[in-house]
Amino acid sequence: MTEPTITTTCGYCGVGCRLEAHPRDGAIASISPALDGPANLGHTCLKGRFAHRFARHRERLTAPLIRDGRGGPARAAGWDEAVERIVAELGRIRAAHGPDAIAGLASSRATNEDCYAMQRMMRAVIGTNNIDNCSRVCHSPTSFALRKALGLSGATGSFADFDHAGATILIGANPTEGHPVVGARIKQATLRGMRLVTIDPRRIELADYGVLHLAPRPGANAAVMLGIAHVLERDGFVDREFVSARTEGFDALLELLPSYTPEAVEAISGVPAADLERAAHIYGAAENACISWGLGVTEHKYGSEVVQLICDVALMTGKIGRPGSALLPLRGQNNVQGSSDMGALPDTYTAYRSVADEQVARSFEAAWGVPLSRTKGYTIPQMFDAAVAGELKAMYIFGEDVAQTDPNTAHVVHALESLDFLVCQDIFETETTKYADVILPASSFLEKSGTFTNAERRVQLVAPALDPPGEARTDFEIIKVVSAALGHELPWSTPADAMDEIAALTPDWAGISHARLGRHGLQWPVAPDGTDAPILYEREFAREGGRAHFAALPYKAPGDAADEEFPLILVTGRRLQHYNAGTMTRRTGNVELVDADVLEIHPDDAARLWISDGDRISVRSRVGRIELPAHVTDRIERGHVFTTFHFPETRTNLLVGASADVNTSCPEYKVVAVDVRPIGEQPARVPALA
Amino acid sequence: MSELTVTVDGTTVAVPAGATALDAARAAGRWVPTLCFDARQAPFGACRACLVGVEGAANPLPACTTRCREGMAIDTEDPAARRVAHAVVELVLSELPRAPAPDTELAQVAQRLGVGAPRWPGETHAPADPDVRHPYLAFQHELCISCGRCVRACDELQGTFALTATGRGFHANVAAGLDEGFRASACVACGACADTCPTDAITEVSLLP
Repeated sequence: MTEPTITTTCGYCGVGCRLEAHPRDGAIASISPALDGPANLGHTCLKGRFAHRFARHRERLTAPLIRDGRGGPARAAGWDEAVERIVAELGRIRAAHGPDAIAGLASSRATNEDCYAMQRMMRAVIGTNNIDNCSRVCHSPTSFALRKALGLSGATGSFADFDHAGATILIGANPTEGHPVVGARIKQATLRGMRLVTIDPRRIELADYGVLHLAPRPGANAAVMLGIAHVLERDGFVDREFVSARTEGFDALLELLPSYTPEAVEAISGVPAADLERAAHIYGAAENACISWGLGVTEHKYGSEVVQLICDVALMTGKIGRPGSALLPLRGQNNVQGSSDMGALPDTYTAYRSVADEQVARSFEAAWGVPLSRTKGYTIPQMFDAAVAGELKAMYIFGEDVAQTDPNTAHVVHALESLDFLVCQDIFETETTKYADVILPASSFLEKSGTFTNAERRVQLVAPALDPPGEARTDFEIIKVVSAALGHELPWSTPADAMDEIAALTPDWAGISHARLGRHGLQWPVAPDGTDAPILYEREFAREGGRAHFAALPYKAPGDAADEEFPLILVTGRRLQHYNAGTMTRRTGNVELVDADVLEIHPDDAARLWISDGDRISVRSRVGRIELPAHVTDRIERGHVFTTFHFPETRTNLLVGASADVNTSCPEYKVVAVDVRPIGEQPARVPALA
Repeated sequence: MSELTVTVDGTTVAVPAGATALDAARAAGRWVPTLCFDARQAPFGACRACLVGVEGAANPLPACTTRCREGMAIDTEDPAARRVAHAVVELVLSELPRAPAPDTELAQVAQRLGVGAPRWPGETHAPADPDVRHPYLAFQHELCISCGRCVRACDELQGTFALTATGRGFHANVAAGLDEGFRASACVACGACADTCPTDAITEVSLLP
């Protein structure tokens, strides 16, 4: 007997591939690509297609767990007991310390409806704006910068723009590993003649398909973008008509540019002046061109400023708002765009409308029937600081392993240990659940309905192919149950009802309903009649007055730098076979392909340090130390090393300090000064020869 | 985009300029058998299963590579074309050591064309254990019909160029890298080859019989 095929949206990266899931006897037999998926066009990668076995892994949480004493073992409990415990503890803490002593995290792997429910619960029943999501630690700088420069927090176009572009600059992203289906699409575009410029400290795979690769020092992106802007202006590539008709603030940028000659930028970034000029000419000369970026741009002390400079480059050449000319940030997780769109942020309701905006706040008060706080809540790093300071007493962490993925792990663990009460809602036990008092067994994307929003702002349906295992429930159900028990009924029977409320309260989502999304989804903003927006800003920008804004921001040095004690710069990233903290992919056949994090190091550095390929080595930063095997490769430049954080036994993020983006507190994962040496060698350095 | 008007089995359909006879037939809701065709890839025109009659043409033409002209009349059930398609599929099947699984494209095309057990009991590919050196992707080389879809999927959809057509004539087959298996090759396990394969010569390890 064949069971029906379920068309759904992939729960791995932000590409948003449409998948056909083929269930058989309560498990997934196979997954194939939907031929009509607008983002994947009948393609997938090994994560979406093959890495689904985690959903029926024996380590899935199948019953609520309660820990009676800190550090003690967790015992299985019924839902009633678990929920009663949550209600009693949160009630006690709220009464003793006020609503702002409690904070929640929504999950960027969960649906829009889950995240909307979570932020409504935190705001309406706890009474706090202490709600955030993991976009804080990845693309919050992109969101901040795009809103400031252009108006809306999303890509200005679609992946289809790569197919129409004559050239593309790809900076700080490695799509063939992190976003493989987009990586394949960019490859095909280069094979058809698109001129690709890659900018990354590592020689990523796509560099071999491009016409030019620039390898700046980590933290020098601002100088590179300013240098490109300098050459574009100097050599006559400015679209004067566009600049005067549709933008403001160009003169301030012009005043800044003379100091960023290719030679000056070479001194800062290490990128040869001639290469920088060539990159600018390739971009400027193309009739249509895209710029795409990832966490290599954002996860820096000045990440949000670099995104604004990227906007400057597109604006000064008028390459925005038409097919083939787009700004395309590659969002990390499947719904990191949506979780932020849904207002799971400490300062905004849905569609990035401020909690301090009286009119917006009143519309939510009217709909929810409760008074709401006008005060911004804590961001994720602020939550941990407040927990250590004793001001934050309880957290409700939904689908995020902060103890593995957030920077400065020792501080995060200290914060979790300092809490009076921690609830985790997840599908597996994680590094974070070790500190939880109550663990609620939740659902994977293969077990739920709702919507994800991909990196093109495309809202797509998610449909269940399996039931949650054992006593596990969907996240939507769990949040409904907990919210009701806390005293605030969420008045929806299905996620589709929640979407109707989102649409009613959010002008940019007004035309969205599950029925209307169909097989291909819709790209917000969606008008009440259902017209969506594959391309933004065709006629005007979404800022007051309709003009885009140029940022005139100078290059500033990153938060960390190599010195005598820590002579190498560590950059972290991802591998094709694994996804983020690896909770899902480590429980699939993907571990047969890659089973450990390794440190990539250049052959010259390796030789100098007496390190051979495969040696176990020690990596020490100013805040922590880890051990892992070395991989000697010339993909990485001299002076830099690279690793991933897919395996909890490595705990890479112990190395990352507290330095963060100045505007959004997105951590500086991409510049960490480290000392690397073979294990067993004394930490004291050999004295320099006279 | 300008449109052309063609007729398929007497029904008039409008198709965009550049459309093929296969596009027109599908737009008209008519079935044309195909083996080497995948809409995600550039038309290949190798298998000759998709032959159709075209008014004014001396012989049947491959629908997947024949571009529509204004006023073209296409006959998807042209007797000569169908005879050839039947023979093509029967010859392909005659090389296999066992019938392909019923859910494969080859089995379904054969069934719809009414091709039964091949009448030519000559040599068949030697059955072998599946190559399962990769955690997800398996070869069953004896089921390969050399349609080239896997190689083109790897090139045109994924861009990894890990697969190669090998051998000649009866010995034509497919290999990953230098015939070292998927795992040791440049393969990134996107699965596009398994997805397009019409016989399960490349399939998922977990779906092996």
